[in-house]
Amino acid sequence: MKTLNYVVAMKQVPDLQQLRIRDKKPVLTDIPLELGKIDKNALECAVNLKEQHDGEVILVSVGNDDLPETLKDGLACGADRAKFIADNRVDNLQSAQKAELLAKLIEGLDDVSLIFFAEGSADNYSGQVGSRVAEILGYPQVGYASEVKIQGETAIITRALENSYEDIEVALPAVVIVVQDLNKPRLPSVIQILKAGKKPQERIDLADSSYEAAELTVCYENLAPDTDRKMQELSCSSDLIEVLKDLGVLER
Amino acid sequence: MDYNLTTEEELIKKVAKEFSESVIAPLQEEIHANNEVPGEVLEGMAELGLFGINAPEDLGGGGASFVSFVSAIEEIAVVSAGVGMIMSVNNMGHTLINFLGNDEQRKKYIPKLVAGEELASFAFTEPSTGSDPKQLQVTAVEDGDFFVLNGTKRFITNSNLKGPMIIVAKEESSSPMSGKATAFVIDKHCEGYSLSEPWDKVGVHGGPLFDVYLKDVRIPKENMLGDSGNGMYVLKMTMVFAKVGVCGICLGVARAAYEEAVAYAKEKTHRGEAIIKKFEHVRMALTEMEMIYNRAKWVTYHYAWALDGNIGDPFVLAKLAAQAKVEASEAAVDIVRKAMGVLGSYGCVSDYKLSRLWGDAIVGPQVEGCAATLKVMAGNISYLA
Repeated sequence: MKTLNYVVAMKQVPDLQQLRIRDKKPVLTDIPLELGKIDKNALECAVNLKEQHDGEVILVSVGNDDLPETLKDGLACGADRAKFIADNRVDNLQSAQKAELLAKLIEGLDDVSLIFFAEGSADNYSGQVGSRVAEILGYPQVGYASEVKIQGETAIITRALENSYEDIEVALPAVVIVVQDLNKPRLPSVIQILKAGKKPQERIDLADSSYEAAELTVCYENLAPDTDRKMQELSCSSDLIEVLKDLGVLER
Repeated sequence: MDYNLTTEEELIKKVAKEFSESVIAPLQEEIHANNEVPGEVLEGMAELGLFGINAPEDLGGGGASFVSFVSAIEEIAVVSAGVGMIMSVNNMGHTLINFLGNDEQRKKYIPKLVAGEELASFAFTEPSTGSDPKQLQVTAVEDGDFFVLNGTKRFITNSNLKGPMIIVAKEESSSPMSGKATAFVIDKHCEGYSLSEPWDKVGVHGGPLFDVYLKDVRIPKENMLGDSGNGMYVLKMTMVFAKVGVCGICLGVARAAYEEAVAYAKEKTHRGEAIIKKFEHVRMALTEMEMIYNRAKWVTYHYAWALDGNIGDPFVLAKLAAQAKVEASEAAVDIVRKAMGVLGSYGCVSDYKLSRLWGDAIVGPQVEGCAATLKVMAGNISYLA
C-alpha cells in the first residue's frame, strides 16, 4: 500500500499572552515566539492519522532565525521531521509570498497525502496561505475541516458550517484547512520534548528556494483599537438594560 | 550570567503549566476539601514524565536539568501546593537513591519512581527529633542477613502511597559504626509497616502526611543505602538535593498570591475606578510583592543551576540550598500577607483562594528544615568550617 505522508504548515507567532500594548502599539521586544494555537490542532489531526495509517508527519514552515527552536514544540508533539526556511528577512513577507515559499518546500516532499493548515494565524489571521498553496500546487482544498478521515485513495472531510455540517470526499493529495474545534492537542511528555531536538530538521536557504526576491512589504503602523472602558457602577439589572439600550446594544 | 531557560526547559515548564491549569485546577477545590489528590492527576503527571524530569535517561528519566524541574514544580504549585509536595518528595527520593545507592538499588527503584508507578518517601523526623541524627530512636538491629527495624517516624509525606521509603535509623550491629545513624531503603506497606491517621495540616492539602509505625520490619542487608553510619551524610545530601522541590512549591504559592492580588486590584472598584489605578499604595504593594518574588526566584534558580553540575562543593551547595529555602518560604508568607492587604476581608474568607494560599505559605518555612535551623547550618558552613 502507498505510504501516506502528512504535511503540516506551522507558523511562528508571538506568545500573545505576553504581549504588551504601549501607546496603542504592540511591544514585540523580548516576546517569545511559539507555534500557532490552531496549527497545533492541525498537527494533532495529522499525528492521529499517522497513528491510524502509518506514514510520516512533516512540518513545513517559513520564519525567522529562531525557527529551528520554535519548531521543537511541533516535533515534540508528534511530527517526525521538519523542512523550513529560517531567515530574518521573511518577517516582512506577505501571505502570498509566504505561500510561494511553502509551496516550494512541499513540492520537494514525497508521497504527500494531506497538507494541513490552520484557518488563520494568531497574529495576522489573513486566512489566505492555505488556499494560496492549494492553488499553486494545483491540489483540491477543503476549508473549515472539523473531522478528517482517510478512506483508500480519498479523504472524507467534515466541514463545520454556520448551522450545519457538510461531508466532502476529496482525492489525495489535498489541502485541508482546519478549525480549532477539530480536536484537543495532546501535551508532549518530558521525554518527547527532550528528544525533539534530535529529530531531523532540513533547513533550506532562502536563496536556494528558487524564490524570486519579491518586493518586501513595509508596515508603517500597527495600532491597537481604542477601547473606551466606562467602568460604570450599576445598582441593579434594570439599570444595566437601560444603559445597554442607550448605547444601542439592545433594541428599544 | 545567562539564566534564560533553554527551549526544552521552556517547553517542559509550559507543559506543566497547561497540565496544571487544565487538569489540576478544576479539581483543586476537591483536593483541598478532601485532602487527597485524585488518581487521575497522578496518572496524568506520570504520563507526561513530570515525576522524572531530572532523573537519569538510562533509568527512564528525562535527563533534564534541576532548573527545568524547579520551573515545572512551580507551575504545578501555582495551582496546588499539595500536588507539588507529592512531586517534590518523590523527586527527592529518586535523586537520593541515584546519588547514594548502588547500581542494583538504582535499577530496582528509580525506573518505577520516574514512571510514577511508585512514589517515594523520606523518613528522618521522629517524635523526639527533627534534624539531629544523635537523637534517633528508630532502631535497625542486625539479625543474620537482615536488619530488623522498630520505632516511629513522624510527618512522612507519601507514606500511604506504594513505593520505597528512605529511612534513617540507629544501627545496632557488629559494624564499627554501630550505634550511629544509617540509611536504609524499605518497601512501604511491607509486613510490620503501619500508618497513623493522616495529619490534618493547615495547608498544602493533598500532600499526604502520616506517622509511620515500624514493628519488627525485616529488611535484607542489601537494603542499606550507602555506608554504615552515614546518617549525617545522608542528612547533608538531603539538604543539598531536597530543598529544590520545596523552593519551587513556595515560589508557586507566592506567584499564585501575587496574581490573585493583581486580578483583584484590577476588578475591585472604588467610586467607579479600579483600585489598581485609583490607589498608589495598591500599586506599591503589588510592586513589593513582585520584588520579593523575583528575589526568591533568582536565589532558587541559582541554587538549581548550581545543582546542574555548575558548583561541585557539597558544602557550598548545602549553603545555597539553605539560603534558597529560607528566601523562597519566607517570600511566600510575605507575599500572601501583602496580598491580604490588597484583598482586605476578602482574603480571609474561603470563597477566595487567598485564604487557602495562606495555609500553604505558612507550612513552607516549617518543612524540610525550619528557617532557624537552616540559617544556623548555612552560618556554620560559612564561618566555622
